[in-house]
Amino acid sequence: MRPLTEDETKVFFEKLSKYIGRNIVHLIDRSDETYYFRLHRDKVYYMSEALMRQAISIGRDQLISLGVCFGKFTKSKKFKLHITALDYLAQYAKYKIWIKPNGENTFLYGNHILKAHLGRITDDTPEHQGVVVYSMSDIPLGFGVTARSTVETRKLQPTDIVAFHQADIGEYLREQDTLF
Amino acid sequence: MDFSDQLETQKSKYKSITVERPIPLQYDLALLAAFDTNALDESRLKNDTDNYLKEYTRDGTQLLINQIFKLPITTSDLGKLAELPEQITVIPREKPLPKLKPPTRWEKFAKAKGIQHRNKNKMIYDEATGEWVPRWGYKGTNGDGANDWLIPVPQNDDPFEDQFSKRREAKKERIAKNEARHRRNIEESEAALNQTKGADARSLRKGELQRQIAISKSATASIGKFDKTLKGELKLKGVKRKFEPSIGDVKKEKELNLNILKKVVGKKGDIVNVRKAIAKRGQ
Repeated sequence: MRPLTEDETKVFFEKLSKYIGRNIVHLIDRSDETYYFRLHRDKVYYMSEALMRQAISIGRDQLISLGVCFGKFTKSKKFKLHITALDYLAQYAKYKIWIKPNGENTFLYGNHILKAHLGRITDDTPEHQGVVVYSMSDIPLGFGVTARSTVETRKLQPTDIVAFHQADIGEYLREQDTLF
Repeated sequence: MDFSDQLETQKSKYKSITVERPIPLQYDLALLAAFDTNALDESRLKNDTDNYLKEYTRDGTQLLINQIFKLPITTSDLGKLAELPEQITVIPREKPLPKLKPPTRWEKFAKAKGIQHRNKNKMIYDEATGEWVPRWGYKGTNGDGANDWLIPVPQNDDPFEDQFSKRREAKKERIAKNEARHRRNIEESEAALNQTKGADARSLRKGELQRQIAISKSATASIGKFDKTLKGELKLKGVKRKFEPSIGDVKKEKELNLNILKKVVGKKGDIVNVRKAIAKRGQ
């Protein structure tokens, strides 16, 4: 476990800011307790100071996981967000998509979001923007990237893709070995 | 009227708060933990595992709660609170104990000879002038007669030799010798610190020289890229990665993160949503 280097922090924040923009400040600068981002075996974890101080006396080989896993660095040093970060993304998301009940299942199996399943979308969402996906009852289901801007989606066919799938809560079952 | 029957039935609803254990439990109340070293009843454990374990755990918990009720209790807005004592369980320290500094050559010698340190006064009495002067340093008597106006020529010595310059030379030599010893001491103490890596003073010095040679070789226009290499020449190793400690300066880390964030988010300048503003204007 170690703090992120400057380069790593930059890559990480760039990816995170696609979803929550400037709201990353609320993750770094919290009023309740100091929280940290720490790297452990290429995965970035978000944890309170108390937890970190306890974990520090556990060896690197013995430590499996701690805090909330935000994602991992790939071998080519890009950052991949995991579904486990959804709680924080949903809390601070700038752009949101709501999908109809009949589209929930297909999304949770890892498919892209079609125009037919689109319930609502944040006004003036640009193209290729990170969005958090909600069910119509405001339960966060995952996140993705818009294929078209809000204006252009109006002209699309019902079978066209509105947003590309990136992660969904179905991964808690499908990828439970590698997720945390 | 007799209430004893009612009391009995009421009592039998609840389990007893007194629990007997042959070996008393150990508690760490700061962690709300009790440690039970008593042996389990094997026959019951085999035949009636679930119920036995549940019962046993309840009794253990009861003992723990009994202990908590013995603590000093304060009343506040939140209700009655027990003040927990200090934690007893010891968590191992994060880093190994620091290594002892190896004794210097002088310390070793002094120990072998039984020489003990004693404080000397800084000022000494100069009988010739009748004044107190520093033992050494500025305006001090160095005890080598540097201020003598006359030096008698020793017998069997060359009378034409300059005794003053002879003394100066001798002093210079002494200083040089002392400095060489000082350097040697530093090298030896460094080697002793690195002893776990299997390095003595000589090989440490050798490595240092080889590094310096390699660095000086790169002092060409092409940073030594096209230089011919000699047989058996060492390749210089790259810089080792070094990371910040996990628990470091909290403020500094936060500031660094905020600075990086400013750079990352500042590029897009998303304070004003230009797209939205243009759409509003067009309406």
